[in-house]
Amino acid sequence: MAAGGAGGNSGSGNRTYSFKVVLLGEGCVGKTSLVLRYCENKFNDKHITTLQASFLTKKLNITGKRVNLAIWDTAGQERFHALGPIYYRDSNGAILVYDITDEDSFQKVKNWVKELRKMLGNEICLCIVGNKIDLDKDRHVSVEEAESYAESVGAKHYHTSAKLNKGIEELFLDLCKRMMETAQAEERLKGNGASQSASSRRGVQIVDDEPQATPAGGCCSSG
Amino acid sequence: MSSQRRGIHLDQSELLCKKGCGFYGNTGWLGLCSKCWREENQREKQKQIQEDWALAERLQKEEEEAYASRNQKAQSQPSITPFNKFEERKTKEKSSKVNTVTKFFTPSSKTQPKKDASPFDAQASPSPSSSASRHSSLDTDHATREFIDFLKPLKSGREIFKQCRAFTESMAYKRDMGADELSECVQDFYQNLSDRLQTQFKGSSEHVESVMDEVEKYMMTRLYKEVFCPETTDDENKDLAIQKRIRALHWVTIEMLCVPVDEEIPEVSDSVVKAITDVIEMDSKRVPKDKLGCITRCSKHIFNAIKISKKEAASADDFLPTLIYIVLKANPPRLQSNIQYITRFSNPSRLMTGEDGYYFTNLCCAVAFIEKLDGQSLNLSSEEFELYMSGQASPYWPQAAGASSCSPGSAALSQVHKRLDLLTGLGERQERVMEKARQLENDLIDWTDEVEQKVQSVLQTLPPETQNPTTTTATATSAASSAIDSDNVENELLPPPLQPQVFAG
Ligand SMILES: Nc1nc2c(ncn2[C@@H]2O[C@H](COP(=O)(O)OP(=O)(O)O)[C@@H](O)[C@H]2O)c(=O)[nH]1
Ligand SMILES: [Mg+2]
Ligand SMILES: [Zn+2]
Repeated sequence: MAAGGAGGNSGSGNRTYSFKVVLLGEGCVGKTSLVLRYCENKFNDKHITTLQASFLTKKLNITGKRVNLAIWDTAGQERFHALGPIYYRDSNGAILVYDITDEDSFQKVKNWVKELRKMLGNEICLCIVGNKIDLDKDRHVSVEEAESYAESVGAKHYHTSAKLNKGIEELFLDLCKRMMETAQAEERLKGNGASQSASSRRGVQIVDDEPQATPAGGCCSSG
Repeated sequence: MSSQRRGIHLDQSELLCKKGCGFYGNTGWLGLCSKCWREENQREKQKQIQEDWALAERLQKEEEEAYASRNQKAQSQPSITPFNKFEERKTKEKSSKVNTVTKFFTPSSKTQPKKDASPFDAQASPSPSSSASRHSSLDTDHATREFIDFLKPLKSGREIFKQCRAFTESMAYKRDMGADELSECVQDFYQNLSDRLQTQFKGSSEHVESVMDEVEKYMMTRLYKEVFCPETTDDENKDLAIQKRIRALHWVTIEMLCVPVDEEIPEVSDSVVKAITDVIEMDSKRVPKDKLGCITRCSKHIFNAIKISKKEAASADDFLPTLIYIVLKANPPRLQSNIQYITRFSNPSRLMTGEDGYYFTNLCCAVAFIEKLDGQSLNLSSEEFELYMSGQASPYWPQAAGASSCSPGSAALSQVHKRLDLLTGLGERQERVMEKARQLENDLIDWTDEVEQKVQSVLQTLPPETQNPTTTTATATSAASSAIDSDNVENELLPPPLQPQVFAG
């Protein structure tokens, strides 16, 4: 396999990292706009040359290391909320987007953080993103509140505007660097050249004494 | 209504096992259920196993000879780490204090993993002919040949082939192993092999991927019949359950799911049909990659349908409901078995970060949604939902739902009334059609008359110029004009019939 974010071997210097990043957040906060801006530099594009904006990829080169980024858009409608675990399993990073003019959307982000930490532990890099900063005059989520919340849950906070193309490059670059660090730390932990364990490869890890959480809407599970 | 048309209707009896055991049959199994199919094929299989092995042995011998003559140096230094190293690592990993939880796709294993479950234990048994490969067919022979051809130019091709063959072989010893453990074995094998390749190809992931694709193709073509919907699982029951569930949900409309496609547009409805066909086709493929290919093609057709309908690129918000709709319309055969099989035996990197993996994940979401959906998820009251599920009302006649809230009897009665109303309505419409048809007939007659008049007047003003008409022309014209005239005897406004002489001049 192509050295999955947390897997692969560390034998040679020119390995390629593959990372999966999920976009989570309420509808209309700008998830699709952010990723279309980042991958295709488009906003509210009327000439639709893109077939779809749900799965996009980007190749980066960070300090000489190749990174393949796969960005997974998720259905934001409330009735699909329970499907979250199916989407975010095995992801290396999550981008949790809210609209700075919409307090509710920030509350939704908090719920996602709780769920992700419970299900995936600290292996996942979390980004909390306040989008639509071009509408700062209608801001309903305070900068201090958002940033201190992010810090309290071990996430990083970013401010973006898909409309003005602000803060987006930084967001993704930063996230990639953090995911690389996580992957490298994991490799070191596993020992030189050791392969990933079967459990971390396909399952989700939590420490022994935590209760086993059952995902809502888990697909195809026997129970 | 167009959604109703799309359903693929089959008689219940056509779906049942030909042996009459009561289970559902499958065309892939010549109309038998998996149990009867297995029984039927036991003897046939034994013979095939032998043939398979004869071929495998021959191919292996050929390969070994070819390598021996070509590359004697490489043989003394195998490029792949000895297997005892793998064993060490496995033990180390097993002792780690981390638990695997929450496998969304695979049911938790009921039995403890066997200590001797290493995929490489077959290496210890040197005689492949003593073990039994499970099946053979032209397909698997073909897969073996292709695999060997692919590996030939590679430095470690022989090693790779030997490992894969031995591993595939070793799976035969694991007949009664649970599906999860089988999956673990295969996944461990993929992982170890790709790690070795990674080192060998100095991190060229494209190269590693292409080899791993071939490895998967070879192994899974050979193992398919054994590990697809195995008897140790309840995959088959889950298949039947979701099949039944989807049938019970036949009444779900595009509007309830908020599907952003407009099937009135021909290109859109065309894409919808293609998407349905592709997702159904998944069951006919053997290799996980090929099955995933069907889901990806299905998804691309969905994107096309959305793009034409909405005039913008499809987002996940559009895609998922449409995929759910497609799955409901298609009711793909052995849906759960296929999902489980892909989850258990696909090359993991493809599922985790690849595009195929994204669409596959959405399919899993669609199935989970269908399994769990209730009134709320379709913006219906739970009463409405129950009525539709029980068939007492249909969303196509909304009033019935209101009337039927009293009792099932009155619900049925109100449906009868509905249908009578519908029939009366149809009768009235037929009347109107007939009336229009009669009017059209009259219009046509009037129109011919009009044309007639014009022709006549033109003919009258025509100067007599032609001097010597042939007799045949004259007769023909005469016949024609008299025929025209005979149709118009009642019309007094018409001038008297023309004489052929006048016309002929
Ligand atoms: N003013 C402003 N509008 C934005 C921005 N990002 C997205 N939008 C708008 O917000 C709406 C929802 O965006 P979309 O990307 O579809 O959100 P999603 O549902 O989270 O994917 C669209 O009308 C966008 O044009 C932004 O940065 N500034
Ligand atoms: Mg969106
Ligand atoms: Zn049967």
